[in-house]
Amino acid sequence: MNRTDGARPRGRSRRWRLAALISVVALAATGCSGGESVDVDGDSGGSGGTLVVAISSEPDSLDVHVSTASPTFLVLENVYDTLVEPAADLSFQPALATDWQISEDLLTWTFHLRKDVTWHNGRAFGADDVVASFQRIMDSDVAANAWRFESVTEVRKVDDLTVEFALNRPTPNLLANVGGFKGMAIVPPELIEGDGLATGAVGTGPFTFVSYTPGDKIVLAANPEYWGEGPFVDRVEFRFIAEPTTALTNLRTGDVHLTNNVPPQQIDALSDDSDVELGRLASNDYWYFTCNFDREPFNNTDVRRALSFAVDREQIAQAAYFDAATPVQSAMGPGSFWATDYAPFSHDPQQSRDLLAKAGVSGLTVDLMLTNEFPHTIQAAEVIASQWKDVGVGVNIRTLDFASWLDEQGKGNYDCYVLGWLNNLDGEYAYHAQHHSGGAYNFQGYANAEVDRLLDEARVQTDDTTRRDRYAAAARLLIDDVSYAYLYTPDTVLAWLPTVKGVEVHPDGKTRLRGVRIGG
Amino acid sequence: MGRYLLRRLLHTVLAMLGVSIGVFLIMHLVPGDPIRLALGTRFDPEVYQALRSRAGLDRPLLAQYGTWLSHAVTGDFGVSFRSGQPVGELLWQRLGPTATLAGAALLVALSIALPVGILSAVWSGSVIDRIATALSQLWVSVPDFWSGIMYILLFALVLGWLPASGYVSPLDDPVQALRHLVLPALTVGLISGSILTRFVRSAVLEALNQDYTRTARAKGLSRWQTVRRHVLPNAWIPIVTVAGLQLGFLLGGVVVVEVIFEWPGLGRLAYDAVIRRDYSLLQGAVLVIATVFLTINLFVDILCGYLDPRVRRP
Repeated sequence: MNRTDGARPRGRSRRWRLAALISVVALAATGCSGGESVDVDGDSGGSGGTLVVAISSEPDSLDVHVSTASPTFLVLENVYDTLVEPAADLSFQPALATDWQISEDLLTWTFHLRKDVTWHNGRAFGADDVVASFQRIMDSDVAANAWRFESVTEVRKVDDLTVEFALNRPTPNLLANVGGFKGMAIVPPELIEGDGLATGAVGTGPFTFVSYTPGDKIVLAANPEYWGEGPFVDRVEFRFIAEPTTALTNLRTGDVHLTNNVPPQQIDALSDDSDVELGRLASNDYWYFTCNFDREPFNNTDVRRALSFAVDREQIAQAAYFDAATPVQSAMGPGSFWATDYAPFSHDPQQSRDLLAKAGVSGLTVDLMLTNEFPHTIQAAEVIASQWKDVGVGVNIRTLDFASWLDEQGKGNYDCYVLGWLNNLDGEYAYHAQHHSGGAYNFQGYANAEVDRLLDEARVQTDDTTRRDRYAAAARLLIDDVSYAYLYTPDTVLAWLPTVKGVEVHPDGKTRLRGVRIGG
Repeated sequence: MGRYLLRRLLHTVLAMLGVSIGVFLIMHLVPGDPIRLALGTRFDPEVYQALRSRAGLDRPLLAQYGTWLSHAVTGDFGVSFRSGQPVGELLWQRLGPTATLAGAALLVALSIALPVGILSAVWSGSVIDRIATALSQLWVSVPDFWSGIMYILLFALVLGWLPASGYVSPLDDPVQALRHLVLPALTVGLISGSILTRFVRSAVLEALNQDYTRTARAKGLSRWQTVRRHVLPNAWIPIVTVAGLQLGFLLGGVVVVEVIFEWPGLGRLAYDAVIRRDYSLLQGAVLVIATVFLTINLFVDILCGYLDPRVRRP
């Protein structure tokens, strides 16, 4: 999967075979989850120095509990810790919690906290910090991720190094909820007061927060007291470089060591470039189109199936991401533990026309709503539009800024739209809220009693394989009904200088820098 | 001069008030709001209403504007909806880089426009005039995002003379600050300079064709004496006016160049604030940009009044 050897894989099949192979190893080792990370020359030497990382956009806020923007987490991934964290294979490994037990009735989880951890301000870390953090994380008036904790009734301190989560129903994906990413970071209570979390950051992670110059950069320094291994560089500068040409030029001139701002169309050229290392991996994201079930004729399954049969996902993925995305037909891509091996929609214009005729629909024009927040969806939609036209469906593409888009979506003012869900670490994230008839994010209005039953069952199973099978069964139904028409999964891509060692590419797109060294 | 100044100041304050009301209304009337955007696709109507009311967005528009204005006159612009940081601080951090880039770009523009514009007017129709006209036409037509990237590729990547992007404060490291300033200043300065060159040329040309110029020449003054004593004093007013407008544009309207060169300027801040519906930040940013713009205009008016006393009369 990585391309540091300079050889270019000859296409998707080889990439996926390799991914599948590594995933099998990972699954055998952990019994859960899927995906893998690339660790390049992890054990080579290095000595301090300042690592300059160019990221394509700026954090919206330093407050990890409030933010919904990925740059915030890219940066603060390196400052804060969570109770548990995703391992390279996306199973969960100890972080601030060293181990945990689940009660027999499955309603109490006990986490034992790591000893001798200190905050960057020198104070000792303990159970009170965890309780205070979760009080804030679970407050939906403040925090963006409160929805993950609907089943948690209380987080309480047992002793200085033990906390308990009390639940009102079994929650098998609790680890993903508490440790999926730094939106659930443990923060010091003294920063919760006032606006401390918005203007600074004090964590327990490998790097301390030094400064933030809006529009320019964020500077971190090595935390010598870090409880884990590393860090190996003295300072990290995250520079915000939106223009990919500027980012890549800075990489080539050596002013930047590592960047995530790699335009898909440049990947081929960079793979052949011995001055740049490239790492790439299928992400946990997926992009889809869905239609408004409250509007005719989109409430007709045959019409939605016709629209799904009409499109060629290979071409759509190509238009959106060149070779850096994989066409998919379900939420979790191949290689993931949660993947559903079900792909009933080939590109079949004739079947599409037949289904439209069967539904008695002719001269249909679709109002397809897009947002320029995600430019690749606009490129994808152009292909969708032309392929729908091939089966006699006209398209009005309407592109809005994201604020207006959300407003229109909330009012139900659309026939169909294209959007995605990011970082789906668990089947629960991918399916329940989106497709359950009472799901909070079932904006399209899909309702299928059998799907509801399967999703509800999956929620309370503790065995991951059983859960996966329930999600897979539900996925088959909702794919057939075209609740969503899944389209593509993009790759996570990083580029770095050959002098930089120990870079890990994760499917969640985060840049974890504690193992990175700058070599000679 | 005193009454003239007072009148101009009053106009400036009224214009600022108008701008702030206009921006406030437009931002609140277009669809989408910061709370909806922060919730993203994970939308819950109850949480949405609670957050809106906490942020005071459910109050009548007039009351919201009143609160904002009463704080703004004391210099308190509130905190950014998006990041929670004080707006005043965010704006202050951007003023230095913005002023540096605008000043340097204007310097580049004027040092091209004045000599080239005057020469091509005086030698109108000559080869020099034709070349200058063609070049300025070319530079006006070249988009800044293209020329900027070309400069980066040439001077940073191929020749390795200058850094590709970034901002360094002159207070931290004057040499590095200058090195980082050259490419963005050239990118906007050359375009601005091309526009100004055409104005200088036509202003000088117009003055050259006046009767008083012909009279001065007939009285025996040399061509350059005429230009210096009679033509330039009359051409200054349109040139200063247009240069002032250009400076105003450079202070807020070079978003693309700020993006390409990773320059932490005001234009980008205001653009992001619009996209994110960050009302408080946008109100502050627009007010600052408008204030600077109107101050430059005020300064231009005063300068014009000084250059030509006729302007001062009501």
